[in-house]
Amino acid sequence: MADMRYPDFNIPIVAATKAPAIRCVDVTLRVKKKLVLDGVSFEIPAGSLAGLLGPNGAGKSSLMRILTGMFPPDSGRAELFCAPAGPERLGVLSFLPDRGQLPPYLGAGEWLRLAAGLYPDWSEARMEELIVKLDVDRGQRIGSMSRGQEARLQLLTCLSRQAPIIILDEPFAGVDMVSRESIAQAVVGELADGERTFLIATHDIREMENLFDRIVLIGEGRMLGCHDVEALRAGGRSVESCYRDVFA
Amino acid sequence: MPPIRMWKPEDFRLDPSRPLYEQFVEQVRAMIARGELEPGTRLPSVREAAASLRVNPTTIMKTYQELERLGLIVTHRGQGTFVTEDEAAIGSSRRELAREAVARLEETARSIGLSLDQLLALAREKE
Repeated sequence: MADMRYPDFNIPIVAATKAPAIRCVDVTLRVKKKLVLDGVSFEIPAGSLAGLLGPNGAGKSSLMRILTGMFPPDSGRAELFCAPAGPERLGVLSFLPDRGQLPPYLGAGEWLRLAAGLYPDWSEARMEELIVKLDVDRGQRIGSMSRGQEARLQLLTCLSRQAPIIILDEPFAGVDMVSRESIAQAVVGELADGERTFLIATHDIREMENLFDRIVLIGEGRMLGCHDVEALRAGGRSVESCYRDVFA
Repeated sequence: MPPIRMWKPEDFRLDPSRPLYEQFVEQVRAMIARGELEPGTRLPSVREAAASLRVNPTTIMKTYQELERLGLIVTHRGQGTFVTEDEAAIGSSRRELAREAVARLEETARSIGLSLDQLLALAREKE
């Protein structure tokens, strides 16, 4: 076990499961003069399914862009498995951006072949399994897909990689109920191996509240809480009531 | 091997402000007590149950651990998880459920100044 490694990345699995998958320490970001993130600190243990919750403009997407190495914080540290986030850490994470678009002129199957060539950690077996679970039609042109169909194809792309950290930005925005359910189901199926960690930004508390084991609340760029969800419930609070207490 | 009894989200009523695993344990216990889950029924794996119920796998893991501790389910390595065929274990779980129900009813009776017998007699009285 000691020398098993994720294919193509140099992360020993044993080390990966002990360290927090994601850690932010006092992350601060300014865009022009505006303070977008103001001293955000939290930890996500490996193997968690964590929700990043907050209203529009709270700084969720900016935080995810820092974690995915698109830009560094002005101060503080953002780490993935104890190494600073940045372009050189892209191999350990798979990211589904908010309102991301796939090339509309390609068929789903053509896109998947392209993605398979793009990502060194692509798993054909996982892709085949997810095509069935997420009910994706390889023959369909992306430009003719509904929002729900495209969201399922995007998630399929994200999960067919073997990266240990999955970051999803609003995977349910504008998605029909049946697609939401199959997206939630696919996420749980991936998690049960215990080797992947999810951080999911969403407004959709109802669909996801039974799935999260941890929630991080941010508002106006500030940390407003980080909770173990079952501990909240043991104290008689739901994810939704906690969200309301903080933001309403 | 018996077919798997799969679960759907509609099979459970969940209160989001109480620990979910506790509620799954209660509801599966009741299913076994009323015979809806027969002895020897094969249950889905943690992964299958979590995916079909759309809950965190840890929740199902804790549910199964607790049901196993209560002697209501058994896991056979490599074969899966099954409802116990030990009638005595099911019997004692039903007795425990009955005791808990009576205790709750006694509590209600006390809150309106009655004994359990008085409560039942009063409820059955004709107008």
